[in-house]
Amino acid sequence: MSAPAGTFQERVDKALGNAQLKVALERTTGNARRKRAAAVEAWPDFVAARAAAAAIKDHSIDHMAYYLEMFERNALASGAQVHWARDPDEACRIVIDICKAANAKTVTRSKSMLGEEIGLPHALADAGIRRVETDLAEHIIQLAGETPSHIIWPAAHRTREDVAILFDQYHREKPTAHDVVSMVGSARKELREDFFAADVGISGANFLCADTGAICTITNEGNAELTTTPPRVHIVTAGIEKIVASTEHALQLTRLLVRSATGADLTQYTTFHCGPKRPGDLDGPDQFHIVLVDHGRTEMLTEMPEMLRCLRCGACLNHCVVYRAIGGHAYGGAYPGPMGSVLTPVFDGLEQTRDLPSACTLNGQCRQVCPVDIPLPTMLRHWREQSWRAGYEPKTLRAAIGLWAYFAARPRLYQLAQAVALPAMRLFAKGGWISSLPLASGWTAARDLPKPPGESFLTSIRKGGTP
Amino acid sequence: MSARNDIFAAIRKARHDGAAPATIISEAQACSQAMKRTLPPLDTSDLVGLFTARVSAEKVGATVERVAGLTDLPAAVGRYIAANALNTDFALQPDPRLEQLSWDNLRPGAPLRRDTALAVGLALGGIAETGSLIFHSGAEAPTLYGFLPLHHLVALDAQSLMPKLEDYAAFASGLPVPRNVNLVTGASGTTDIEGVLARGAHGPGNLHIVIFN
Ligand code: SF4
Repeated sequence: MSAPAGTFQERVDKALGNAQLKVALERTTGNARRKRAAAVEAWPDFVAARAAAAAIKDHSIDHMAYYLEMFERNALASGAQVHWARDPDEACRIVIDICKAANAKTVTRSKSMLGEEIGLPHALADAGIRRVETDLAEHIIQLAGETPSHIIWPAAHRTREDVAILFDQYHREKPTAHDVVSMVGSARKELREDFFAADVGISGANFLCADTGAICTITNEGNAELTTTPPRVHIVTAGIEKIVASTEHALQLTRLLVRSATGADLTQYTTFHCGPKRPGDLDGPDQFHIVLVDHGRTEMLTEMPEMLRCLRCGACLNHCVVYRAIGGHAYGGAYPGPMGSVLTPVFDGLEQTRDLPSACTLNGQCRQVCPVDIPLPTMLRHWREQSWRAGYEPKTLRAAIGLWAYFAARPRLYQLAQAVALPAMRLFAKGGWISSLPLASGWTAARDLPKPPGESFLTSIRKGGTP
Repeated sequence: MSARNDIFAAIRKARHDGAAPATIISEAQACSQAMKRTLPPLDTSDLVGLFTARVSAEKVGATVERVAGLTDLPAAVGRYIAANALNTDFALQPDPRLEQLSWDNLRPGAPLRRDTALAVGLALGGIAETGSLIFHSGAEAPTLYGFLPLHHLVALDAQSLMPKLEDYAAFASGLPVPRNVNLVTGASGTTDIEGVLARGAHGPGNLHIVIFN
């Protein structure tokens, strides 16, 4: 498995030079956008629902200690073992220790972005434990030796033609044909034995329900339950921000999460897992471990609490003009797109990752589609300001912004400059987007700029209209 | 300090949460109520009709039939086996209400295996809003009956249908918490290749629901 290499600019250039990538991304994100739009249209009060969903998440974040304690109490009462990890190393060590104590040779894993965030695949490899990814997309990228490029569709960068080549090469029984259904059937056969050969199954969690001590997974393939039920040990890794007050809150959020991700009312499997096998049970794990991870989240409580609402639905990726042009690997972190550009600086430090918040057109689409109304553009601006203040920005940019500041401090001059610039920029716009602009090709090569309004905000306010 | 203590100390430093539990509980209820007020209108006068429409819609993709009573289940299973050219032996969820039915020439004693073609089960209830079946795991309802077979045929009592997800949450809060709650909405599927839906990923490729009175 190779993490994306090179500088951000190098990765972007590589992505833009890959014509197949644009095809693959457009097929997946285009399908996702269409389905989401249809689902949202069928919910007339969706805007109010987003505010209500944000309030539900904010409630659990405001009372995070209270609910985490309640969750822990109930989970322990169900027979679960609860572990706490401050950082990725600690989290991986806990998981590996559990695996070693269980004498595990093979672990199955159902998709978990937190697992990617903490580097669990590497940790398992280092410990000599065989890892079998069971989610179809994760299986594809495991065969390709890659990392996920989307938080919902980890293989969004792969066309069906790519998948056919991989399955032909690696599956013990080759796919009978190269249509999507035949290839899905081939993966079913390939992974069947592994579900039962595994000693440990590892999953993530979409929600931690304080009222029951159960963790909730939302999936569609059936691989999650086949990962968590047959092995002797089930390990859950989850960020502490996944806490919600109750099963009811979890289900209410699921309504928005699923519509925003795939456009369905509910995905096939909404499953709550609470503790190990009980007396009389014919299946289920003997041990059930929950590893709760901080990794910057307690800092976010002060710095950017709204980001802790994130449901990991992927809608902001699907609607981001930058993501759709460069794909997930160019971002370099576990989480790509707008939400990734906010989160990666928290995890990896702003100095190394300051390019991410800068690679954004600030067109506001991400916030509009976010089911929990996270002000992503505001947060990206916050990182830009921080980067500026810390002196991380290169000299050329500082000079350009210095020039802007000169005009901005002189309103009349600024308006005059804008009066000249706006009509000029509109000349380059097609269908609401500017895909090339003289002297700014470094920007527009990878990004489309939104077409500017016919007049400036100030001019339209003066005329008494709404901008 | 332990990781646990460090994490709680950091949370409490960021949020001085002096709220009394009673206040927190009423705040949580207000949040649920606020969400309920935004929900799209749903005509719940005919729950069976609503459930049937949802579950047979293309995005859920299950098949449904209606029979008079649970005693008609074996005949429905026989028809399903014939229509899909399956073997007459199948795995039966070990629920006494199913085991005591007279299965005649069908053979419900097959063990559940990783390549089981058909499993027949009984849902605890259904959610009309989403077309979901509810299973609570236990000695009479092992989890894997819903995940291993290629065909899953499920009996559902019309009386056990509830309108919305919130109704399920209220219903569940009065029951012991099971090891697994499985809300199953249609046959397994994946959109992992180019966002195109393909049915029958690792779970059942076919879900047939027999609603009885
Ligand atoms: S930021 Fe919002 S839109 Fe993006 S993944 Fe998180 S919840 Fe979804």
